[in-house]
Amino acid sequence: MRTATAEPSKMVNLSPRSTRWEGEAPAEPRAIIRVDLWKVAGKPLQLGHVIRQRRLGRSLALPPRLTFVCLLLTLLCSPLHAQAPDVAALEEQAMKQAVAALAPSLVKIETVGGLDRVGEVLTGTGPTTGVVIAADGYIISSAFNFASKPAAILCTLADGRRLQATVVATDKLKMLTLLKVEATDLLIPQAAPADTFRVGQWSIALGKTFDDEQPSMSVGIVSATKRIWGKALQTDAKISPVNYGGPLVDMEGRVLGILVPLSPQATGEVTGVEWYDSGIGFAIPYVEILASLERLKQGKDLFPGLMGVTIKGKNIYEGAPVIDRVRYGSPALQAGLKEGDTLLEMDGQKVVRQAQVMHVLGNKYAGDKVSVVVKRDEETVRGDMTLIDKLEAYESAYLGILPVRDPISQAATPGVGVRHAFPDSPAATAGLDRGYRILKFGDTDLTSSTQLLDLVSRKRPKDKVTLTVNSGVEQRTVEVTLGSIPEKLPTDFTSSPIVPKDNGMAPPEAPKVGRISDKMPAHEHDYWAYVPEDYNPDFRYGLMVFLHPGGDNMEGTMLKHWTRVSDERGLILLGPKSKELGGWNPNEADFVKDLTEEFQKRYSIDKARTLVQGYDAGGIFALHLAFKHRALFHGVVAVAAPLREQPPDNEPDFRQQFLFISGDADPLHRPVTASAEFMRKQKFPVIHSVSKDGEHRYPIEDADSIGLWCDALDRI
Amino acid sequence: MLKNVVAVLFAAASMVGIPSTIQAADAPSNPIDYASERVVKIFGAGGIKNLYAYSSGFLVSSQGHIVTAWSHVLDEQSVSVVLHDGRKFQGVVKGADSPLDLAVIKIEAEDLPFFELQDAVAVTTGARVLAFSNMFKVATGDEPVSVMHGVIAAQTKLQARRGTFESPYSGPVYVVDAITNNPGSAGGVLTTRDGALVGMIGKELRNSSTNTWINYAVPISVLRPTIEDIVAGRTTRKTNDDPTEPGTKVARYVALDFGIVLVPDVVPRTPAFVDAVIAGSPAAKADIRPNDLILFVGESLVQSCRGLREALADLEAGDKLKLVIRRDNVLVPIELPVEKKEVAQ
Repeated sequence: MRTATAEPSKMVNLSPRSTRWEGEAPAEPRAIIRVDLWKVAGKPLQLGHVIRQRRLGRSLALPPRLTFVCLLLTLLCSPLHAQAPDVAALEEQAMKQAVAALAPSLVKIETVGGLDRVGEVLTGTGPTTGVVIAADGYIISSAFNFASKPAAILCTLADGRRLQATVVATDKLKMLTLLKVEATDLLIPQAAPADTFRVGQWSIALGKTFDDEQPSMSVGIVSATKRIWGKALQTDAKISPVNYGGPLVDMEGRVLGILVPLSPQATGEVTGVEWYDSGIGFAIPYVEILASLERLKQGKDLFPGLMGVTIKGKNIYEGAPVIDRVRYGSPALQAGLKEGDTLLEMDGQKVVRQAQVMHVLGNKYAGDKVSVVVKRDEETVRGDMTLIDKLEAYESAYLGILPVRDPISQAATPGVGVRHAFPDSPAATAGLDRGYRILKFGDTDLTSSTQLLDLVSRKRPKDKVTLTVNSGVEQRTVEVTLGSIPEKLPTDFTSSPIVPKDNGMAPPEAPKVGRISDKMPAHEHDYWAYVPEDYNPDFRYGLMVFLHPGGDNMEGTMLKHWTRVSDERGLILLGPKSKELGGWNPNEADFVKDLTEEFQKRYSIDKARTLVQGYDAGGIFALHLAFKHRALFHGVVAVAAPLREQPPDNEPDFRQQFLFISGDADPLHRPVTASAEFMRKQKFPVIHSVSKDGEHRYPIEDADSIGLWCDALDRI
Repeated sequence: MLKNVVAVLFAAASMVGIPSTIQAADAPSNPIDYASERVVKIFGAGGIKNLYAYSSGFLVSSQGHIVTAWSHVLDEQSVSVVLHDGRKFQGVVKGADSPLDLAVIKIEAEDLPFFELQDAVAVTTGARVLAFSNMFKVATGDEPVSVMHGVIAAQTKLQARRGTFESPYSGPVYVVDAITNNPGSAGGVLTTRDGALVGMIGKELRNSSTNTWINYAVPISVLRPTIEDIVAGRTTRKTNDDPTEPGTKVARYVALDFGIVLVPDVVPRTPAFVDAVIAGSPAAKADIRPNDLILFVGESLVQSCRGLREALADLEAGDKLKLVIRRDNVLVPIELPVEKKEVAQ
């Protein structure tokens, strides 16, 4: 491999002014510096002199280390002498020497066109820096330099040649960009081996952005290694757009790393720029860049590697890393990891805390293989994962039927009855209709609608399945291509009939019906509820929990407009009241959950039709509750309420459906629209219902259509 | 074995690697005391909004000539000058030079220590330097100004701006690897580790190409002739209070004069792509084609349609317009004659 230091004569040619030392113009820079050092240090020292003699007697292309030994011996031995040498002056010269070693490999990069702003950051139009990483025209730089997506990139090499460059690939994990110019025989710098990195060692940051033949330099020390989850060296040299993309160099003129803006908190091309010149700068170790260079040369962008698990506990520095959830279709699932497993080892390193897992994964690319050892009960299980760049959002499949709701007392019959097949649904397209019974899903015999929902939920839209159905006349098999849950409100269908109970026979201990106002014993919270007067415990009812906005518990409004819907649709209404009328406090989530579960025990409730509706602040709280208790709430109606938190990943285990409602004259309409869009992208079943000219208010006239949606929550 | 030795030596070197103030034989015995005695604190107009009412200056004669940066602080009949030892004088502006952003103040005093301008030195990139200024007016009364250390990061021509205006000075500067340019720093000095005068610290400015704050000093060699003129009374050029705003220059030539129709300039950085070429025009004769991207005019890079407009505005009849265009990822040099333009009525 050719390196800059192995070709000293060429270095002089390429950078005619790199030898601006105090002495005369030299023919060979290394020799001259030594002469300079001797000059500064006074009389030549005995020990250093011997080494110098020996070195000169051998090849001029000795590794820089020896030169350095020579320098260091001078540094260390000279204080013993009567005439004190100027240590700082020696250091200054050594630094200039290190810079000169790198100068032939530095490239000035200029861009044409492109965005003025990336996010909030005003990007400059000025030149930036790159480093020749392969002799045949490959240049590495910071991705920051290309965040503005320029129309043309021009590189000026150290010898003055100006060449058009193309972007080969971007490393999205370490925020680097590889460029290519048509040139050969370029000089590449030496890499500092990772085992030489020492906190406290001198580090010089170089840039090529000023109108100067020499690189600009900023001097500091290495402040830390393996920062930002193992990715970067930290330095207190001044790092800014002046030198992003340039090298961080050690005293021997070897490249420690490439300077990039990074932030421990966020990712993106321009994060960390706000820290410029702060004494906190980052560089990606050069040896690691060399290791991934071949992959970048292929022209494929590199991405952070994901394994697809969430870990229990919010404090990443406390407690063992126990897997909370394993994402559907993720590398972790393929490696056989399961919920509740404790991670013991990853990539051969022990992991005791969540933070250590992040340290291992933080520096891994998609495509990297990572071995994993977990503890499951008393067993130790091993697995191998190939990390991926993007976890696919899971999307439930959809058949398009409403199942028959049989009375509880009725003996179970094989199969699932079709009460309604939605027009144009996969089921209707395959010829299924009211009165059919689905007996088999593929080879699986069906016994309940819950079982059918689970099977369908684990399929993906466009999957084909064979159903065995009985039309009442004949038994046959049909091929169905599953679809997605529609993004529009369902068209009208008749509700499942409930035989009214003869109230005369009600035993005294029977639960209350009609309008209820009570207190939840353990919580001292008030609530209201409405149970249809003809409540019959032999049938399962829907349960709608209503969360009021701040300042008004809306009990009267809801009772006025919803009791009829409740009677028609077999829906029990439950209105918990916040302790302070002003609004909901996040720690009241437990009260709402306990009250909901209490009602599920007290009445015959269809769990698949248990939902939470909220208006305004109540809607935000409803979304929060649904995300927190995913097995409890199967639907959310958020009225004039946008997302205020990141939803969890959509998963087949928890099929939740979402209905956003907003008026287009409501100032919150835009955030609500954005929330619905966002959740759609996350593949949740979402409907956004917009009322024309609607202000910010609760749409009482929508009770029927919302009620219809609630009644369709058990659709499969 | 050798490796181990190197590692040990390396660690040891890091320990001794602290800044040192050992001087050469002809330097002052203590460079920090030497320079501190020659740097003064200046108090004047300002104190409202973001305009601070203080700055720094340095003595260049034993009779009290003080060099400082021209600023609003001097917008008064007289300013207060406080020496390192607390002596306070009223100073009057003896002269100023707006292109250099420089002013000379005179106080009535004798036998003061001062920097001999002819002893000022030039330094190279990587040289260690000291900076002396009353940044943030940390030094009060008889306290000497604050000292910082750093290295020369680069030598370049200043391309900076203050707010939206270009800085009046665009000559050579030393860029310093230390945060030297702070409120009140302007007029302070940069010296070598031996206390030899190197440059005057300038005002706080932003680098116009990277949009970051820049730390710099103007070499004394650039300032010296003007300072000597003002001190000798040969000139008392007043400052130009309304600097010419950029962009008022009359554009002599536009792309269309050569038969080049550019793409519509819709965003701040629309690349200078050729949309169409007028048949029979000089551009057509030189085989410029639609979709060519104009990258250079002469030696300077054209970053946008606006940049091209500015570059063409400077042309004069009889010049050669040298363009470099990109076509299918190849750079093509093209030369066009600049013909005399008929003045439109």
